[in-house]
Amino acid sequence: MKKDYQTHVFTMTYTADVSGVCSAMYELGGMSVLHDPSGCNSTYSTHDEPRWFDTDSLMYVSGLDEITAVMGDDNVLIRDVVQAAHDLQPRFITLCGASIPHIIAFDFRGVAYLIEKECGIPVLPVPTDGLKSYVSGVGLALSAWLERFADPKEYREYRASGSENGALDDSSVSDLKEADPEKGRPRINIVGATPLDFSVNGNIQSLKKCFEEAGYVVNCCMAMGTYGSDSTGESTGACIAEAGSTTAQTAAAEKNTGMSARDRLFERMQHAYRADVNVVVSSAGRKPAGLMKKKSGMPFVEGLPIGAEQTKALLDAVSETIRDGIGRKAWSDSAAGAAGQASDAAGCPSTKDSILVIGEEIFAKSFSNAINMLPETVRKGRTASPMWPDVDEGIAETDLAEAVRNSAVVIADPLYRTILQSPRAAGRTIQFIDFPHEAYSGRIYREDIPVFCSAEFSIQQLLGKC
Amino acid sequence: MLEFQPIKDLEYEYNADLGLSYASPVRGVWNIVHIGTLVPQAHEIYVCPTSCLRGVVLTTAEMGAMDRLSTITVGEDNILEGDMEEALQRGTERIIAELPVRPRAMLIFTSCVHHFLAVNYQRVYRVLREKYPDIDFIDCYMDPIMRRTKPAIPNLWQQIHRLLKPVQAFNKQQVNYVGNCFGYGEYCDLTQMLLSRGITVKQLQTCKDYDDFLGMANSAANITFHKTAVRAAKDMEIRLNQKWLPMRPGCSYEEFDEDLRTAAEFLGIAPPSAEEITEQRKQTEEAVRSTCELLAGTPVSVDYTAVDRPLETAQYLIDHGFNVESVFVDVFTESREVFERLQKTAPDLKIYQSLGWNIRRMDRTHGEGKLVAIGQKSAYFKNTNHFVNIIENEGMYGYRGIRRLMELLSDAYLNEKPMRELVQIKGWGCCGE
Repeated sequence: MKKDYQTHVFTMTYTADVSGVCSAMYELGGMSVLHDPSGCNSTYSTHDEPRWFDTDSLMYVSGLDEITAVMGDDNVLIRDVVQAAHDLQPRFITLCGASIPHIIAFDFRGVAYLIEKECGIPVLPVPTDGLKSYVSGVGLALSAWLERFADPKEYREYRASGSENGALDDSSVSDLKEADPEKGRPRINIVGATPLDFSVNGNIQSLKKCFEEAGYVVNCCMAMGTYGSDSTGESTGACIAEAGSTTAQTAAAEKNTGMSARDRLFERMQHAYRADVNVVVSSAGRKPAGLMKKKSGMPFVEGLPIGAEQTKALLDAVSETIRDGIGRKAWSDSAAGAAGQASDAAGCPSTKDSILVIGEEIFAKSFSNAINMLPETVRKGRTASPMWPDVDEGIAETDLAEAVRNSAVVIADPLYRTILQSPRAAGRTIQFIDFPHEAYSGRIYREDIPVFCSAEFSIQQLLGKC
Repeated sequence: MLEFQPIKDLEYEYNADLGLSYASPVRGVWNIVHIGTLVPQAHEIYVCPTSCLRGVVLTTAEMGAMDRLSTITVGEDNILEGDMEEALQRGTERIIAELPVRPRAMLIFTSCVHHFLAVNYQRVYRVLREKYPDIDFIDCYMDPIMRRTKPAIPNLWQQIHRLLKPVQAFNKQQVNYVGNCFGYGEYCDLTQMLLSRGITVKQLQTCKDYDDFLGMANSAANITFHKTAVRAAKDMEIRLNQKWLPMRPGCSYEEFDEDLRTAAEFLGIAPPSAEEITEQRKQTEEAVRSTCELLAGTPVSVDYTAVDRPLETAQYLIDHGFNVESVFVDVFTESREVFERLQKTAPDLKIYQSLGWNIRRMDRTHGEGKLVAIGQKSAYFKNTNHFVNIIENEGMYGYRGIRRLMELLSDAYLNEKPMRELVQIKGWGCCGE
């Protein structure tokens, strides 16, 4: 019998591709237009976008209605977007859509072309359908952005000019000019970072710090990091809005460079090819990293630095990849658990008495790997296994219940606790360790999301709770 | 395009709810999930693509009511294979089998894609009704693409009350309030009149269980306070033969008196006496006068999420000496007469479109000094902590309602509230705040 991925008696759904698009584009100074009747925009701005209240980035819903859809009258959308672009002058426009544009075969590329022709502002068509998870949306959006604004030739030039031994001498990025200390250090990009996986609590700053302390220059972070915390990871309430409550730090940077944080991130990403390696920190980053590899040959490493051992594993993987140009993952499939299933979506552990880590794929695999590298005494002889949602289907609730029933400890978003009501998960006492994930529970547990992207993050302490 | 226009420059047909829209962080207004959970012992099922499900499940989770909702995700394969009906039936059957408590009713929400793909969900409901005779199934809709002709909230109020079954005889001593998010009690003239004359008022908010809710079918009349309830009341009048008595939720003393007289006449009870009315008006005028004195010319902004009739409210306040500087409203649903009078008496009154794209970058300040807002949207856009934090009139109607509004206005003037935190709570009053 066909597996039932669709029915969720007790559990939630991950955020959708459309939110992923908007989230990825949020800090780049563009305007995102979601072609949809209504609702997706408020869902995004309420549950999936922690930066919404404090900033003035642009995201709108097209307000598609029945008659416009039936008549296929794209002029309504074109007219509105052109008018709004005229008023607001965004640096670029992103056009994505939900399920109705999908089933009426809305021509994203054609309409994007027409809008761009009329208003002279670059328009990125991102053909989402509202049926997939944010991983798809983030990946599509970042890829579309890179295709349009970044130049793959820069990778060859960068390599030729001294490549891994130093930054470019003739950088046109004002930030890089100031960064002479960066000279001679290898450069990495962080790819696939959005608040949906990392919130705005300092994880990204901690991630950057991890690489900087290891001697790398973070060339750019796709596509966040201008909001919320300073480089120490302390929350500052910094705001990317040009008007309003910017911090002294942000204001000073803007004064020095004459550019807003949005502009600086945009420019840094424009030169994404001036790096040695991409570090893919969520599965959403695979598509843009894959695109960059295809276009230029730039390799990528998958992984997250969670705790001391996993941080070392990631840094070793990055170092190796810079040396040999071969992409790799910062875990071994056997050490990350779910051996033999790691390449399958929603890998499910088969061993009893395990530690089940549920979350985004690269997070779950990195975290499991990190646990499994701990001494047996710390993890009480247990092995951690990752479980992650498929981009198209999510996690089948039957699989989830079975995996939970087979586990001694579950590390997951608190809303996964609802599965414990399922008769399929019954019959066993489970120790549940809350680990909130914004792409699952939205803003509900935002305050409790830890800064986990760090060598200092103590998994031992976390496991000590059970 | 400015984020506001003076009312003198606007046409009555103005409608900002067309085309490209902005969603502010203000989230107090109830959505269909909040309303659906008012039905006791009912379970909601949402059948939609992931992008639509996300909002409803998180609404439910924030209410702490995940045990009241399940979902069936529509996937690409359903669209291609055309098996939406099977997925709906199979999913519902599984939900019923696995829920720890058997629901008395199931509200099944289908979405825009079902409409566009002409899914025969009524056939599925027929099968389910035969298979599970102890559960009432009702078709509900989350299809915003149809919002011009079949808006979601009025339609939901109608569908919820379709769970009620026709009865042979009505109880003349009992009426229903239909289509309210909040119970109407202390601050409602009608409730006070009915209770004082021995009439029972049934409201969803106070139904203790599903059978109690079904008892609404026995009521002699359905009373509505909001336009969003009209569809339900008209439907009940035809289907259940229950009389519809609409109350007008504005600020007109004459309308209050007339509506109460109509209700009293139908129920065969005494309407408020001339003395009672005089006393009510006197107390109300006194409350308004003292509030106006307290505010002493402080600018006031009104929005449509707080009161059903923002223009009429603005006019009433202006007539009583308040300094109303702006109204946030996206569609004029009040009479042309009200609109035109306001154009004459306050031509420079600013009308803001809360959905307009330019409002995203408006200067969210209000100059020096205080500004008191009536409603969350006014409070957010005018960036004030002095605001009346109410949604949909919040149980206020008639003279008592106006006096209550004056109390809240005075309190807002004197005391600050944490606007940032409060306005972002989804479904004001639903999350235990």
